[in-house]
Amino acid sequence: MTVFKTSMRNFVAHKGRMVLSAVAVLLSVAFVCGTLVFTDTMTATFDKLFASTASDVSVSAKKVDDAQETGKPETVPASLLAKLQQTAGVQQVETQVVSDKITVVNSKNENVGSKTGAPTIAINWDERDSKKSVELTSGHAPRGPTESLIDADTAAKKDLKIGDSLRVIATPGDFSTRIVGIATFKTTNPGAALIYLDTPTAQSKLLGTTDAYTNFGLTAKSGVSDAQLKKDVTAAVGTDYKIQTAAEANAEAKDDIGSFLNPMKYVMLGFAFISVIVGIFLIINTFSMLVAQRTREIGLMRAIGSSRKQINRSVLFEALMLGVLGSVLGIGGGIGLAILLMKLMGKLGMHLDTSELTIKATTPVIGLAIGVIVTVVAAMLPARRAGKISPMAAMRDAGTPADGKAGKVRATIGVLVALAGGAALVAAGKADKASQGSSFLGFGVLLTLIGFVIVGPLLAGVLVRALSTVSLRFFGPVGRLAERNALRNPRRTGATASALMIGLALVAGLSVVGTSMVASATDQLDKSVGADFILQTDNQQPLSPSLAKAIHSAGHLEHVTDYTGTNAKLTTPDGKVSTKQLTAASPTYARDLRVEAVQGKLSDAYGDNSMSVNEGFATDHGIKIGSELTVAFVGGETAKLKVAAITSDDTTFDKGAMYTNIATAKRFLPADKFPPNQIMFAKAVDGQAKEAAASLKEAVKDYPQLTVRDQTDYKDLIKSQVNQLLYMIYGLLGLAIVVAILGVVNTLALSVVERTREIGLMRAIGMSRRQLRRMVRLESVVIALFGALVGLGLGMGWGISAQRLMATVGFGVLEIPWGTIIIVFFGSALVGLVAALVPAFRAGRMNVLNAIASD
Amino acid sequence: MTTAVTIPKSGGSGERSAVAARARQVTKSYGTTEDTRVVALDAVDVDIARSGFTAIMGPSGSGKSTLMHCLAGLDSVTSGQIWVGDTEITKLKDKKLTQLRRDQIGFIFQAFNLLPTLNALENITLPMDIAGRKPDREWLDRVIETVGLAGRLKHRPNQLSGGQQQRVAVARALAARPEIIFGDEPTGNLDSRAGAEVLGFLRRSVDELGQTIVIVTHDPVAASYADRVIYLADGRIVDDMANPTADSVLERMKSFDARGRVS
Repeated sequence: MTVFKTSMRNFVAHKGRMVLSAVAVLLSVAFVCGTLVFTDTMTATFDKLFASTASDVSVSAKKVDDAQETGKPETVPASLLAKLQQTAGVQQVETQVVSDKITVVNSKNENVGSKTGAPTIAINWDERDSKKSVELTSGHAPRGPTESLIDADTAAKKDLKIGDSLRVIATPGDFSTRIVGIATFKTTNPGAALIYLDTPTAQSKLLGTTDAYTNFGLTAKSGVSDAQLKKDVTAAVGTDYKIQTAAEANAEAKDDIGSFLNPMKYVMLGFAFISVIVGIFLIINTFSMLVAQRTREIGLMRAIGSSRKQINRSVLFEALMLGVLGSVLGIGGGIGLAILLMKLMGKLGMHLDTSELTIKATTPVIGLAIGVIVTVVAAMLPARRAGKISPMAAMRDAGTPADGKAGKVRATIGVLVALAGGAALVAAGKADKASQGSSFLGFGVLLTLIGFVIVGPLLAGVLVRALSTVSLRFFGPVGRLAERNALRNPRRTGATASALMIGLALVAGLSVVGTSMVASATDQLDKSVGADFILQTDNQQPLSPSLAKAIHSAGHLEHVTDYTGTNAKLTTPDGKVSTKQLTAASPTYARDLRVEAVQGKLSDAYGDNSMSVNEGFATDHGIKIGSELTVAFVGGETAKLKVAAITSDDTTFDKGAMYTNIATAKRFLPADKFPPNQIMFAKAVDGQAKEAAASLKEAVKDYPQLTVRDQTDYKDLIKSQVNQLLYMIYGLLGLAIVVAILGVVNTLALSVVERTREIGLMRAIGMSRRQLRRMVRLESVVIALFGALVGLGLGMGWGISAQRLMATVGFGVLEIPWGTIIIVFFGSALVGLVAALVPAFRAGRMNVLNAIASD
Repeated sequence: MTTAVTIPKSGGSGERSAVAARARQVTKSYGTTEDTRVVALDAVDVDIARSGFTAIMGPSGSGKSTLMHCLAGLDSVTSGQIWVGDTEITKLKDKKLTQLRRDQIGFIFQAFNLLPTLNALENITLPMDIAGRKPDREWLDRVIETVGLAGRLKHRPNQLSGGQQQRVAVARALAARPEIIFGDEPTGNLDSRAGAEVLGFLRRSVDELGQTIVIVTHDPVAASYADRVIYLADGRIVDDMANPTADSVLERMKSFDARGRVS
């Protein structure tokens, strides 16, 4: 019991020294709990939304995997309505028309939909429908072909009022409409922009026919269960339709949400994991230093009869208290983080209600378990060291603890692990198959990381000296003292720098990969893209026929290329049937994208009843130039197409594509099944690029969802897409770096306490406060630079290995972002300066007399 | 007797005075209210002779360390004035005080005199390094010669014995040619032989190099190396003895002890 009492007293006495470690535990736990609370809340919110909007039983078209993407929703025939109404157990049938393949623009031709990827949805307004997610809050319901409602959030965001006119761009054709009412969400707005039309308008304008609906919503008579109703309906209409109960629909929707939320969840948990790892270093350091500072005291305890085990346990008990404290605060912090994330989602248009915050019982349990286990495990090594302190330590001069030297065993193990990791990285770089290589890469990253952490103290000896030679020596004796201080306990310096190293290694690795991806894509673009203009929508919608027509009407163009994908079943000479998407494009596409043909000529693939296949497919199925493939267009006729070219697989764009002339495809696929253009290309008449660009922009000015990009713009687009991803990852890694800074602060603060006497001595013999502060700062800077140097070097190794691996899938250009690397390196010096602010200030304020008074 | 002013300050301008440090009516007290007030130094007057070896003695709590700390500019005084050389130091700000310590004062503490990360030579030249001055090579060699450390200059403190460490500390104090060297029980942690060695070096540096030295000690033997012993009790100077021997110091201490017991 006395052991625990001393632990408790020690903990309280040194609470100041524990603060930073507690913050590290707090951050890790907060990240884990925040992620859990946030995703649980999202899931709960959506459950509620689905539960309130699902019909008892719904009847919709069966989803066909290889259906042509016609830009119109799948439908069920209107003739089913009568049958359903007569089915026993049916109380009421609601007819629904829903399409998310539209773009809505205001009178100034601005897109009113979400720009963050949430859909714009047009729905028929059915007064009888009790399961609507919105209610009419002003104006009146839409009546007739020119009236519509929009949701209140969109109205507010885009400043739309009753009476404003809108234009809807849909595949069957554009149409104008006037806002006659505003509808408000009854539950959470998931971020979508909604527009309501009356039923006949919705049918004719969205589906192109008044003879169909997208689905029927059935309400059961009282006493009839959903399952019974489903059975009755299935009996009445047959199995050609997708018939779902409310529960089944909810489960499906939940799966969809899950697949949307899960990646986010795993990414966030991944970063929580990183902050846990970084936190471990911090905790190890704190406890090592506490034990070192208490050497004499522990020696005394041993001398008067404490067992090793008791000493060991007392240190672990302190760690336990720290873990519990940090975790409890972390759980609170996690809930705060979740609320913050929800507010952030609100900014992106998804209004989550914080009153629906869902905290499952497992969340605090997981948080506490992680925090406590991590802290106690991290403290084990220092605790063992404490147990080993001999009773003689009580008699010896405490002074500053003996200089820790890295052992030979440790060095050997570290070097071996790092070498094994390096070998795995090299193997990953040389792998032919991406799948095999990526497991090598994973191993390599992990092993090199562990190896470098182990050899950290040794590296510290070498690199700190080298770094000091080029930087600290300019600061004279103060610089030399800082260097010696950083070197005096390489283990501590190594552990402190490790925390920073991990974060920066990830940053460096990812930025090498990102930059290389952009460089590869740009390089490919230069090499293979011949088109001057690339015409694409921003909301992933196909180019509606009206839009395509507008593009074709632009002047100063040498040619305009249509491009779409048609699904077809291919029967190859080896008798196998594969479902593929056949790229149907204008013959000019062969000049827009110069894919290398390994056999034949690509332009021949656009000949009458001809096509091309890619090299891999040709090899797998024994296809040669002149082979005839049986191509059954889904929803159309079956054609025999002759293979006129085999294309190389060594390409970034259109990898694995099979080409045919769009005219050929049109012959076998009826117009109402023919998919609209996914993308279009254009080439200007020589020397008229400027005029062509202006003409194109003028031609598509009614279609704000389309951006006209020349090659430079397109490169910028690729760059910005990769950068967006990188910035997000950098942002999250920032957390790991914050924890690392805490680690540096922690080490310095404890070192300053530990060196009280030395500091007093230096002050006594004439070192000024400024010099003293500078000394602490320089020590911090050199530790940070050391961490940065190793981390960036390691990260570049990872990045290069990953890039070599990606070369097998077409990203062949390695580009190291030296600018970023150098900025990060010098930025870490700044990190060191910031971390040293408080410890340096405290060192300067230290009372000289207290420091030198002999006890 | 609260004064130990025995040497008249020589009058002429520009002339080096015979006094290295002076204290006039120096009072140091702790605590704010009357009840908690503790007077460590009570209106002390003292002159420290240039090129002399002075020992300050007294029982624990007599204020001897406080007096030394105040004279050395490490501690502030409650009232009174102190001069080191011609500089009045009681009003100086930290920056000036630091400079004063760096340039005009040398220190030898009981223990923890050396920075563990620096070798013996680096420790010796540290004050000059900090000041950004080049050490006077000839003088440095002579000092090192005097303290007998020539073969150990590249050693780190933990590779040196306690006596050697103290000798390095003496060398450091001497190397910068300070106005005064203060020693706070400089031999307190050493055995008698090592202590005698260090004290011998201090004595020689006074005799041969003309250094001014003030030490605080409660060891009569250490005090016997000095030219003069000042006794403190309850923050006041109670006696001042010239050319002490270990026996005479011990005698005097005994008499104070006896007096202390009756009073």
